[in-house]
Amino acid sequence: MLKARIIPILTFNGFGLVKTKKFSNPRMVGNPVQAARVYNQRGVDELVFLDIFASEQKRKINLKLVADVIKECYMPVAIGGGITTIEDITNLLKIGADKVVIKSKALTDIDFIKQAVNVFGSQCITIAVDAHKTESGYKIHNKSGLDISLDDFLKSMTECEVGEFVVTSVDNDGMMNGFDNDLINYVLSKTAIPVIAVGGGGDMTHYSDLFTKTKTEAVGSASIFHFTQYTPLDIKNEIKKINIPVRI
Amino acid sequence: MVAIIDYGLGNLASVQKALNFLKIESIITDKPEEIKKAHVILLPGVGSFAHGMQNLRDKKLDLLLTEEVIQNKKKFIGICLGMQLIAETGTEPTITPGLGWIKGTIKKIEANGLRIPHIGWNNIECVKPDYFNEVEDKDFYFIHSYHFVPENENVVAAYVNYGGKLVAAIQHENIFATQFHPEKSQNSGLTLLKNFFEKC
Repeated sequence: MLKARIIPILTFNGFGLVKTKKFSNPRMVGNPVQAARVYNQRGVDELVFLDIFASEQKRKINLKLVADVIKECYMPVAIGGGITTIEDITNLLKIGADKVVIKSKALTDIDFIKQAVNVFGSQCITIAVDAHKTESGYKIHNKSGLDISLDDFLKSMTECEVGEFVVTSVDNDGMMNGFDNDLINYVLSKTAIPVIAVGGGGDMTHYSDLFTKTKTEAVGSASIFHFTQYTPLDIKNEIKKINIPVRI
Repeated sequence: MVAIIDYGLGNLASVQKALNFLKIESIITDKPEEIKKAHVILLPGVGSFAHGMQNLRDKKLDLLLTEEVIQNKKKFIGICLGMQLIAETGTEPTITPGLGWIKGTIKKIEANGLRIPHIGWNNIECVKPDYFNEVEDKDFYFIHSYHFVPENENVVAAYVNYGGKLVAAIQHENIFATQFHPEKSQNSGLTLLKNFFEKC
């Protein structure tokens, strides 16, 4: 039976790990290589590592640092940040990334996503879906002033046959006040591609709530691991109580 | 010496890292003389079937690997796409002939109501335990949309359940291959690799 995945998400600024609230006010929270080492020792299911400023600052991800992070990991690693070319993806795979996470480029260049899927296979291409609530429904968060509805974005990416969606609630990011279960359910109803639910996990009840109220098979979190004593194993033990299959 | 075949598509670094951890000597290569010298051939792989075969053919590795594995009976381990490419036929994205070492076809997973790709940790059911000592029923990391449909079930070493029984591993004479990623499956994966290479 497929197990629910509990995935630590490491966001960094090119140098150190940072954690945002509602995608703003990044706060330094540590060293990426040390964090990866700890998560590997804890045997986490998977790791997502994102340079959240690469696209905005128009630079490439620091391959040396990413290689050092991946060296610590004997589990799958997804890497994202500033990916705009096939060569960028090849470079990340070469140093041991299993999947790449693309956001900015996907908003403006659907053909590139199609091409990436064609070259590397669906399983390799993960799309970050950063959604925020507006009066006219969920929109995709971006700093380029683009008006893209969640619906349209999901539809175009599903048509590209990408491998996975990392769905983050921008409104709940870093707030540690619970997941946007409506958002997750909405996305799950619109696509048959796997989803990692992200944004808002702060205590154990939030996770049991997420797995009770939605059919997500994976959850990603950052703040709870940076700012509380909880570990991915605690979350597994918690959702195991409500009969969600986990790997312990 | 293990030759990790470099055909521009594999997750080469991860595979070599796992072998380094197990203190198994390896070389990432596409050079015929190095591949011929190696005592085990490892074919990794991330990508689409057609693209994988194209890259093998461009480097003339399809003929060389077939000679080494089929004629010379050199030990072979394939991982993920490296398992699929040994089939006769692939269908991703179009019908493409594979290396043809194991009779069968690579088909898209049809799992009613389940999400595709099959991503994550799933427990296997081992039917040929040779290399699966201590990990016969463990969780391994899968990430694939296509699966191996063999003509003859007696080549299957392990199954995984995802909307039905899918082939998780193949073992036939000197050929061993896994759909899951042992190099990404932490202790279970490292144990499996250790078991395999101890018998090489």
